[in-house]
Amino acid sequence: MMALPKPLHDLFRPPPTPGVLAVFSHLDTTLAAIKRLRAAGHTDFTVYSPIPRHEIEDALGQPVSPVRAFTLVGGIAGCAIGAWITLWMSADWPIVVGGKPVGSIPPYVVIMFEMTILFGALSTILGILFNSLFAARRLGTILYDPRFTNDRFGIFVPAGSDKVAKVESLLREAGAEEVRRG
Amino acid sequence: MAETPPPTTPTRVTYDYVTRTIARTLSTPSRGYFLLLGAAVALLAIGIVTLLYLLRYGLGLAGYSHPVYWAVFITCFVFWVGIAHSGTLISAILFLFRSGWRTAVYRTAEAMTVFAVMTAGLFPLIHIGRQWYFYWLIPYPNERGLWPNFKSPLIWDEFAIGTYFTVSTVFLIMGLIPDIAAVRDLATGWRKKLYALTSIGWTGSNEQWRHYSRGYLYLAALATPLVLSVHSVVSWDFAMALVPGWHATIFAPYFVAGAIYSGCGMVITLLTPIRTLFGLEEIITVKHFENLAKLCLLTGSIVGYAYVCEYFMAWYSGNPTERAAFWYRAFGPYWWASWTMIICNGFLPLLLWVKKIRTNITALFVISIFVNIGMWFERYVIIVVSLAGEPFTKWANAVYNPTWADWGIMAGSFGWFFMWFLLFVKNFPAVSISEVKEVLPPPRSKPSKVHV
Amino acid sequence: MTDSIDRRRFLKVLGVTSAGAAAVSACGIGPEPTERLIPYLVQPEDQIPGTATYYATTCRECAAGCGVRVRVREGRAVKLEGNPDSPINRGRLCARGQAALQGLYNPDRIAHPMVRNASGKFEDIDWDGALQRVTAKVREAQGKGIVFLTGAEQSTFGDLVDEWMKQVGGRRMSYEAFGFEALRAGNRMAFGTATLPTYDFANAKYVLSFGADFLDTWLSPVEFQNGFSRAHAFDAGRPASMAKFTYVGPRLSLTGMNADEWIAPKPGSEGLLALAMAQVIMSQHLARVPADASKLVSVLAAHTPRAVAQVIGIDEATIARLAREFARSGGGLAVAGGMATQAANGAEIVAAVNILNYVVGAVGTLVKFGADLGVGATNTFADLATLTSEMTNGRVALLFVYGTNPAHSLPGAFQQALGKVAFKVSFSSYMDETAAACDLILPDHHPLEQWGDSRPRAGVIGLQQPVVQPVFGTQPTGDVILKLSGRTGTFQDYLQAKWRARHGANFDQYWMDSLAKGGVYGEAPTRPVRLATTAGNFSTTFAEVPSWGGDGDQTVVVFPHPALHDGRGANKPWLQELPDPVSKIAWHSWVEVHPDTAAKWGLATGDFLLLQSKFGGQKFPAWITPSVRPDVLAVPTGQGHSAYGRYAKDRSANAFELLGGQATVYGGRSFIVRATASKTGEHQRRIATIEGNARDLGMGTTEVLPLARAKALHPGDHPFHFEETPEYAKDAVEWWAERQHEKAELGNYKGEQPRWGLAIDLSKCTGCSACVTACYAENNIATVGEELTERRREMAWLRLERYWRVDEHDNLQGAVNQPMLCQQCGNAPCEPVCPVYAAYHTPDGLNGQVYNRCVGTRYCSNNCPYKVRYFNWYNYAEKDGKYEAFPEPLSMLLNPDVTVREKGVMEKCTFCVQRIRGAQNQARLENRNVRDGDIVTACQQTCPSDAIVFGDLNDRNSRVFELAGNPRGYHVLAGLNTKPAITYLARVVAQDTPGNG
Repeated sequence: MMALPKPLHDLFRPPPTPGVLAVFSHLDTTLAAIKRLRAAGHTDFTVYSPIPRHEIEDALGQPVSPVRAFTLVGGIAGCAIGAWITLWMSADWPIVVGGKPVGSIPPYVVIMFEMTILFGALSTILGILFNSLFAARRLGTILYDPRFTNDRFGIFVPAGSDKVAKVESLLREAGAEEVRRG
Repeated sequence: MAETPPPTTPTRVTYDYVTRTIARTLSTPSRGYFLLLGAAVALLAIGIVTLLYLLRYGLGLAGYSHPVYWAVFITCFVFWVGIAHSGTLISAILFLFRSGWRTAVYRTAEAMTVFAVMTAGLFPLIHIGRQWYFYWLIPYPNERGLWPNFKSPLIWDEFAIGTYFTVSTVFLIMGLIPDIAAVRDLATGWRKKLYALTSIGWTGSNEQWRHYSRGYLYLAALATPLVLSVHSVVSWDFAMALVPGWHATIFAPYFVAGAIYSGCGMVITLLTPIRTLFGLEEIITVKHFENLAKLCLLTGSIVGYAYVCEYFMAWYSGNPTERAAFWYRAFGPYWWASWTMIICNGFLPLLLWVKKIRTNITALFVISIFVNIGMWFERYVIIVVSLAGEPFTKWANAVYNPTWADWGIMAGSFGWFFMWFLLFVKNFPAVSISEVKEVLPPPRSKPSKVHV
Repeated sequence: MTDSIDRRRFLKVLGVTSAGAAAVSACGIGPEPTERLIPYLVQPEDQIPGTATYYATTCRECAAGCGVRVRVREGRAVKLEGNPDSPINRGRLCARGQAALQGLYNPDRIAHPMVRNASGKFEDIDWDGALQRVTAKVREAQGKGIVFLTGAEQSTFGDLVDEWMKQVGGRRMSYEAFGFEALRAGNRMAFGTATLPTYDFANAKYVLSFGADFLDTWLSPVEFQNGFSRAHAFDAGRPASMAKFTYVGPRLSLTGMNADEWIAPKPGSEGLLALAMAQVIMSQHLARVPADASKLVSVLAAHTPRAVAQVIGIDEATIARLAREFARSGGGLAVAGGMATQAANGAEIVAAVNILNYVVGAVGTLVKFGADLGVGATNTFADLATLTSEMTNGRVALLFVYGTNPAHSLPGAFQQALGKVAFKVSFSSYMDETAAACDLILPDHHPLEQWGDSRPRAGVIGLQQPVVQPVFGTQPTGDVILKLSGRTGTFQDYLQAKWRARHGANFDQYWMDSLAKGGVYGEAPTRPVRLATTAGNFSTTFAEVPSWGGDGDQTVVVFPHPALHDGRGANKPWLQELPDPVSKIAWHSWVEVHPDTAAKWGLATGDFLLLQSKFGGQKFPAWITPSVRPDVLAVPTGQGHSAYGRYAKDRSANAFELLGGQATVYGGRSFIVRATASKTGEHQRRIATIEGNARDLGMGTTEVLPLARAKALHPGDHPFHFEETPEYAKDAVEWWAERQHEKAELGNYKGEQPRWGLAIDLSKCTGCSACVTACYAENNIATVGEELTERRREMAWLRLERYWRVDEHDNLQGAVNQPMLCQQCGNAPCEPVCPVYAAYHTPDGLNGQVYNRCVGTRYCSNNCPYKVRYFNWYNYAEKDGKYEAFPEPLSMLLNPDVTVREKGVMEKCTFCVQRIRGAQNQARLENRNVRDGDIVTACQQTCPSDAIVFGDLNDRNSRVFELAGNPRGYHVLAGLNTKPAITYLARVVAQDTPGNG
C-alpha cells in the first residue's frame, strides 16, 4: 500500500472496519453464503468477485445504480451548452457567409449532438467514481484478498467481537474454503 | 451475460488460466519487440524531420497542384479516422448486442481506436498553411474578438474528432481498471506501484461492480451513436462541398461502412501477430477471426454496393458534370488508383464467402493488408481524383503527384501509431481478463444442469 | 541602484529578447517579423505620403509610341496606365507596356559603366574615365568607319545621334528584328510610295487579314485592337451588327484565333488568293471599282479562282464566297503582314492585297497614306547584312549600339563580325548578348528615368519625362552624346530647344501643356495614292509558290512571341510568366505541331523536336495543336538568350538561329525556312502551360451565338436561361427560393449598399492578356517561376481560358477567350466552409478574403466551382528565398495599397478593392456619392478592346447594370445558384454555323 498525502488519505483510506472475510472458490457456495447471511439479517456485507455475475446481483437484490441519473443530466447539459455556444457565438459576431442566416440551426445540430455525447460520457465516469467512492467511505477499510481478482470469490461481513464467532461458523457451513478475522 | 459457454473457448480454460496467460503478455519484452519499437520510432523520426521542413519552407514541398488543394495528408486523416472506427464498434455495439466473441478482441481494437484517433488528429494541424495558427479554430475568448464559423464542416470535424478521442479514451480506461487490478495482485516491484495507482483501488466488491457495469452500459450506449456520427461528419467535409464526386447524400453511410471495414481489416492485421507472439491461441481462437472476417464481408459488401450506387447515380442522374467526373475517375489519368480501390474493396472481400479462407489465419492476414491498402486508395480517389478531374471549369486540370514530403509525413504517422500501440501491449493487458472470464462457466462445487 | 534597472541593463535585456524573437522568426517558422516605418524627415515637394501622383510620358517598349500615365507613390513608379489623351492607345495599354516597370526596376540592370580589361573580363569604371576612352576611340576611328546602331528611333534623340555622327563622320543605322520591308516594298509596287499607312479598323465592315497579326505584334497593336473591337464586337446598342473577321495564314496567332473564319492556304500563296478575290470582284462587278483599276483586268485574268485554287489549296467556291462577302460588306479592309509577308515573295503578296483593297475602294478611306509610321524608317535587313560584311572586312572601326540587341536576333555572322570591330560601345542598361560582346558599356537611363520624345507617325509626338529618380548610377545617353560632341547643357535643354524651334510662340505654356497631355497629338495628313503604272507587271512573279531557303522536308514558320516579341521582353518575369495567349505556355519556347503530323511521328506534347535547317538547329518541346497547318511547324522567338539577366539567360531555345542571313529580293528577312524535324529522346514531363481542356463541354461556361440568332434577340430575351427544375419540383423550389429571398434580406444583401459587378463582353475580348499583367502589377501578385508553373502553382488571379471553336465539320475556326476571375458570388460556396471567417461577405457584396485571418485550410478553393483561388505554397517574398518573386529592386514596384501575402494563406481577385475604397474616400472628401465610372479596376483600365466594365449593379443607371440586362448576358455555371456578380456577354460569331466544341 502506498502512502497518500493527508487529505487524500482521509478520503481514500477510511478507518478500518472489524469483521470476518471468507474466501470461496465456487460461485454456488458463495451464493449460498449470501442467502444465509441475508436470512441471518446481515445487510451491509461486501461480496468480492473477479467478474460481475448477475447471480450475485440477484442474490443481493440491490437497487439499480444511480449512475444513469448522471448520464442523463450530463447529456442534457451538453446539448444545451452546444446550442448555446453555437448560437451565442454566431450572434456575438454576426457575419453573413454564403447567403445563409447568421444563426442557422441545421449545421449547429452537429455540434449539439457531439457535445451531448461528450458531456454524457464524462458525467457517467464521474457517476461511477463518486458512487464507488461513497460506498467505500460507508463501508470503511475492510479486508481484501488478491485472489479475488483472479479466480476466488469472497464475502466480508462487518462484525463486532460479540458476533464474530457466529458469523464465522455461518460462513464455514456455507462452504468457505478459508475464513479470516480482521 | 452469455447463457451457455460459447464454443469460442475450450472448457479447460479456467479463470486462473486466463489471468496468468494474459498477465504473461506483460513479461519482459524480447529483442524482437525492441526491434519493432525501434522501427516505429525511426519512422516517427522521419515524419518529424519532414514536418520541420514543411514548417520552414511551406506546404509547397508536398505535391499539391491547383486545383488539388487537399491530397495525401487529408487522405491519411480520413484513413486513420476510419481505422479508429471498428474499435468502438466492436467494444460498444457488439457489447449492446451481447455477442460473446467480442470479449477476446475488443481491448486490442479499443487501443487501436485511441491511437488511430491520436494519429488522425495530427493531420489537420499539419496540412493547414499556417500551422502555427491552428488554435484559431478553437472557440475560446481571444484578443482578436472573433469566434470560429460553426457552419464550416471543419469545425464539426474538430468537435466530432475531439469528442470521439475523449470518449474512446475513457472507454478504454474504464475497461482496463478491473484488469489492471488483476495484474496488480500478481505483480511485484515498480509495476505493482504503477498498477496500484492506475487501478484506483479496484477490489471487485459488489458495490464497485454494480456502478461499474451500469456505467459501462451507458458509455456503450453513448459511444454507439458517436461512432456512427463521427465518420458521417468526416464524410460531410466532402458531401457538403459541391465538387462532383463529393456532393452525394450517400456519403455518411458509405463512409461509416468503409470505416468499419478498414477498421476490422486493421484489427486482423494487429491481432494476428499479437496472438502468436503472446501465445494467446487458446483465448483468441480461429472463431474470433472468422467473426471478424464476417464483419469485413458485411461492411465490404456495403462499400462495394456504395461504389455501384455512385456510378449508377452518375449515369442515371443524366447530369453531365457528374458523368464527366466519374468517367474521369474510372478512365482518367488516375484510373490505376480507382481500380486498386474497386478490386481491393469491392471484389476481395467476396473471397470471405468461402469458409476455408475465412478460417485460414494466413489468408485473412494477407487479405487484411489489402483491405488497408484498398481503403487508403478509396480516400485518395475520392479526394485527389475528384479535385483533379473537377469538371466545372474544364480549364483547371491538375498535374498532381505526391512528393517525398507527402510520403514522409505518412510514414511518420505509421511510426507514431505503432509506437503507441507497442508500448500499450507491453504495459497493459491487451486482452480483457475479466470479460474473457465472463464467457467461461463459473467454478462450481457440484456440476449443475442449469446455470442460474 | 539596487533593484532599479539602469539604462544599459535595460538595453541589454531589450537586445537579448528582440534577438530571441528575431531568431525565431528568422528560421521562417511562425508569422513574419514586424518591421518599422520611417517617416520623412524632409518631405519632398509635390509628394504627399499615401497619395499617388500621375506623370504623363511615352511607352518605349515598342515603336508604336503609346502614351502612358505613371502612378508614382513615395517616389516609386508602381503602375503604368494608358494615357486617355493619346490618339494611339486611347488610354489603353498592352501587357508589354504594363511590364515596362520591371525593366525599370530590373534586378539585372547594369549599375555603372563597365569596360573590358586585358583579361577580357568586365570591370567597373567611373563615368569620366569611360567618356575619355570613348572620345579617344572616336578620334582614332574617324575615317575608319563609325556606325551608331539604334532601334526604331524616330525622335529628337535620333536627330542628336545623326548630328553627332555627321560631326564625327560616322553614320547611324536603325534595326528592328521584325521590320516591315515587305510592306514598304509592296506599297511601292502598288502605289509607288514606300511609306506605311494607317489602317482604320474601327470603321471596317469586313476585316481580312493575310497573316497580319495586328492584335499582337504588327505595327501598332493597342491602337488596332481598340479599333478592331469597335468594328468586330456585336453591340446590341446600335442596330445589331458586326464586321466579320477572316484570317488567312498558316497558323492561328493571337490575332488569328479571334477570327470568325480561318483560311489556311499554302504558305506563300496568300497573294494568289488576294488576286483571285480581286479578279472575282472585278469580273462580277461586286464593288464600285476605281476607273484606273481597269489596267489590272489583263493581269487578274490569269488569276481566276479555278486557275489558282490548286496552288493555294483552297477550293474556288470558297474563294468566290470570300470575294463576295468582302466586297458586299461595303467596307472591306484587307491587311497583309506578319507570316504571310516574310516569305521571299512578301512584297508581291502585300502588293496583291493592296490591289484587293484598291478594287473595293478601301484605299484612301480605311487605308490612309501620309502617316508615314516611324517603324517604316528603319534600315532593311539587307542593309544590316551589308553592315555585317563591312564589319567582317574591318571597314567598321567603332560601333555604338543603342536600344537594340542585334547579337540575339541577327544571324551568327553578325556575332563573328562583332569580333572584327576594333572597339564596340553599348549603351544598353542590361547585359544583353550585344552588350556582352562590347568593349565598353555606358548604361543608359530607363525611358522612365529620362527626357525624350518619339514620333510614331506624322502629327503625333509623344513626350517623355523622368518620373522617378534614377535607380542606378546610369546616365542618359543623350547627355553622354552631348558631352562627347563637346557641347554644353543636358539633353533636356537640347530637347526643349528643338521643341522651341517647332513652336516658338508662348513656348512655356505649350511645353507645360504637352507635358501634361504627354505629347502633341495632331491628325496625320492623308495623301491620296493611285495605282502605280508598274502595278501590272509584277504579278507574273506569282505564278508559283516560292520554295523557301534551305532544304529539309518541313516548312518551319518563325513568329514573334506576343509578349517577349524579339526577345526584349524575356528579362521581365511578368512577361515570362504570362502564358502565351494561344499556346498558354509560359517560361519556355515550343514548336506547334498539328495532331495529324504528331500522330504520324508518334509525338506527344512535351516531346522534344530537333529542328535542323541548313543555318542552324534547335530543340523545342512539341505542343500538339489543331491551330497550325498539318504541313507547317511554327516556333516563337523570344527565348534562348545566352545573356540578358537571370530571367532570360539559358532559357529554352532561340528560334532566330534557324533562319538564314540571305536577304530577300525586297531586302527583307525570310522567317519561313525549310528544316528537318527529328524526335529526340528527351521529354519534358510537364511543360509549363496553364492549358486545361481546350474544348468547352458546353455546360454553360462559354457561350457562343451565331450572328443571325444574336440579331434576332430583343431586350428581355434570355437565350441562355434554361429550365432547371422539372414540373414536380416547382413548388418545392419556389418555397426554397422564397427562403433564399428571406436570407437575402439578412444583413448585407438588402441592396442598400452597392453591389459591385463586372460585365465582360466575350465578343470584344481578344485574349491579348494585357489584363493579366495589369492585375499582377496592381495586386502585387508573385511570379513563381517555371518549375512551379509546371505544377500549376501560378498565382494569376485573372486567367484567360481559351476554348477552341470548331464548325460543324469539326474544323477549327478560331477560339473564344474567357477571362476567368473571382465571380464575387452572392451565395459564395467558398464562404461558409471557412472555419475562421477568413472568407466572408462584405456589405457591398464582395467575397472578402482576410489574409491575416486565413490559416490555410484551402477548403474555400476546393468548394469554388470556378477555381479562381490561389494559395501561397511558399513565402514568395522571402529575401533570397528559392522562389523570391521581388528581388531588390524589383520590390520597389510593389503597390503600397495592397498587402504582400504571407506563406500559407489563400488569395484571390478582390475587384481591386483598394481602388473601390480609394474612390469612395475621394467621394467622401468631395462630399458626394461615388459616380459610375469613378471606380476602374486594373483589368478594365488596361483592356485595349474595352471588354470589361465595372460598376454598381444596384445603380439602375450604371453601364454595368445595362450590360447585365443584355440578352447576350449569362452567368457562368448559373445552375449552381451561386449568383455571380460577373455577367458574361456571349461571343457572337459572324458565321452561319458557329461550332461550339
